[in-house]
Amino acid sequence: MLDIKELSASIEGKKILKSFNLKIKAGEVHAIMGPNGSGKSTLANILSGRKGYEIEGAISYEGKDLLKIPIEERAQKGIFLAFQYPTEIPGVNTNNFLKTSLNAIRKFRGLKELDSLEFLKLVKEKSKNLKIEEKILSRQLNVGFSGGEKKKNEILQMTILEPKLAILDETDSGLDIDALRIVSDGVNSLRNKNRSFLIITHYQRLLDYIKPDFVHVLVNGKIVKTGHSELAQELEKDGYEGVATAR
Amino acid sequence: MNLKFEEFQQSNLGLKELDNIRLKSFKKFEALGFPTKKQENWKYTDLKAIIDSNFKSLQIFKDQKNSKYNSKLLIRNFEHNQIILLNGNFIESNFNFEDEKKISIKSLKVALESKTEFEKIKNYFDDEQNSMVSLNHALVKDGIVLKTDNNYSFNKPLIIYNLFDKTADSKIINNKVFISLGENSKLSLVDYYECENNIKYFNNTIHNYNIEKNAILKKFSINASIDGSYNYNSTKINSYSNSIFENFLLSLGPNFIKNEIHCNLLENYSSCFVNGIMLLDGNQHHELKTNVNHKFENCKSSQLIKSVLLDKSNGTYQGKIYVDKTAQKTNGYQLSKALILSESSQFNSKPELEIYADDVKCSHGSTTGNIDENSVFYLMSRGLTKQQANKLIVEGFLNEAIETITESNIKKLILQFFIERIKKVNI
Repeated sequence: MLDIKELSASIEGKKILKSFNLKIKAGEVHAIMGPNGSGKSTLANILSGRKGYEIEGAISYEGKDLLKIPIEERAQKGIFLAFQYPTEIPGVNTNNFLKTSLNAIRKFRGLKELDSLEFLKLVKEKSKNLKIEEKILSRQLNVGFSGGEKKKNEILQMTILEPKLAILDETDSGLDIDALRIVSDGVNSLRNKNRSFLIITHYQRLLDYIKPDFVHVLVNGKIVKTGHSELAQELEKDGYEGVATAR
Repeated sequence: MNLKFEEFQQSNLGLKELDNIRLKSFKKFEALGFPTKKQENWKYTDLKAIIDSNFKSLQIFKDQKNSKYNSKLLIRNFEHNQIILLNGNFIESNFNFEDEKKISIKSLKVALESKTEFEKIKNYFDDEQNSMVSLNHALVKDGIVLKTDNNYSFNKPLIIYNLFDKTADSKIINNKVFISLGENSKLSLVDYYECENNIKYFNNTIHNYNIEKNAILKKFSINASIDGSYNYNSTKINSYSNSIFENFLLSLGPNFIKNEIHCNLLENYSSCFVNGIMLLDGNQHHELKTNVNHKFENCKSSQLIKSVLLDKSNGTYQGKIYVDKTAQKTNGYQLSKALILSESSQFNSKPELEIYADDVKCSHGSTTGNIDENSVFYLMSRGLTKQQANKLIVEGFLNEAIETITESNIKKLILQFFIERIKKVNI
């Protein structure tokens, strides 16, 4: 599904990712762990199409050159980024935005666009499953949301938009145990053989709830170690420094 | 100058006192001419240049016989009382939803012909350092005088239709509206402007409101449809104890608008709220100038203006809060936010606080910028095109001001006009 080869990225002359390689097959859940400044968010940004990076290397998504696909088309083709810091957009009603988003994606996939009634029914069902209070959806997009509400809103969007590749950028940071459970329930309920996940996180805690197929350790823009879910526990014990030097 | 006062005067001789005022006012107007940027109040709007470049020959409106208006211009599916002004002249009124005994409505024309009636409004013909007001005093022919009894709350909104037809083309129309709300009374007023296609005219209008003790006047100024009209509107409000004046301005359609709001908070606990939006493209030029005068203790005022400028449009907000030395415990607030979406458009903001009391809470803010790139990215990463994202953000930006409207049925009406307009804008 996703094949990243020798990816290097810099911003304002500063190199952040260095010869980064990663392959994600359909149905796989990959976790990337790493200390602050290791390039985790840069990777998420590049995959979702944020401008401002000088990029070398190649990224192929479903066999196509991802770097040539415009931002909105990446979303329409099934890439979803759950933001580390979801943007507050005053005056924009969350439901209204989400309906526009879902219909843009459905249209691209050749599905019938949903009318308001059908959409509300879908939202009701999904938010109930995730135990998310529906009323946050009638508020302005992310405005005045607590950190937890913002992240839950990202996960709700993910379950409604049903992406093929979901990238979670530190979705777990700053969450209490209940919110963490909502996030992981969201991911686990969407897991299937066609859908892949790239979970970026600081802590092993989230991986107690979501069992990844692979764990990668990112230090200084490079993957220094790859393993299975036990690697996360090792990291917790020895720290990034320990794991990075022990190779 | 094309305006021929002698011709106008010959056919409009009336009360001697009024004729003298007219003559004196016209002389004053002739001396000053249409305002230019040299006048402080017109710093951002050169009206003389705007008139010179858009009207080959602007004439005084004369036709008075025409009373047939196009009923297609009226608002449907919205229960309301109505007053029809055609080319500034009072045509008819309808208070079907009200107890008509509690309401008095007169044509200003009639009031200007009667010595006793004129006596009551004479004060409003005071001399001012404003040539548009002088011109209005000199040339006013009609308008309305509306009064409500004490303790009367309107059941439904009142729409004043300001309609213009082809006889108004290339003309300047001067009229006045007087509204007096009795104690404990309540009125929601929609001041609605609409005209026939393909005409160009200048409407110079002065509104005078009296809001007595405990009365509430909510006014909604709707200039929604795209047209070739040029409008100067000066509204003067006297607010008495514990009264509320709210004005929302939907400034969308016409080529030119300058709205002035002069609100005098004269007694304890009176308040004034001015909110509004401008969404301008092409060569549109809109200005809002407010003057909120806190002249007594414990009064409150608040203003929120949001503007979006495209193409070569020009928007201006000059907001002034004046606090008299006796007006302790004043609470005054104003905020202007604008998005400038093209390099050739401009927005001018001039907030002013003039405070002579020492125990007051007053603040103002003004921001001007572009659409936030992070917001665009967020929306695009959810599958929206750049255009969809921009439009949603702009809509949300302006929506914030519309959300302040406290009358839900009127909010709905205003949203309809707003959505119609934003559909036609190329963001």
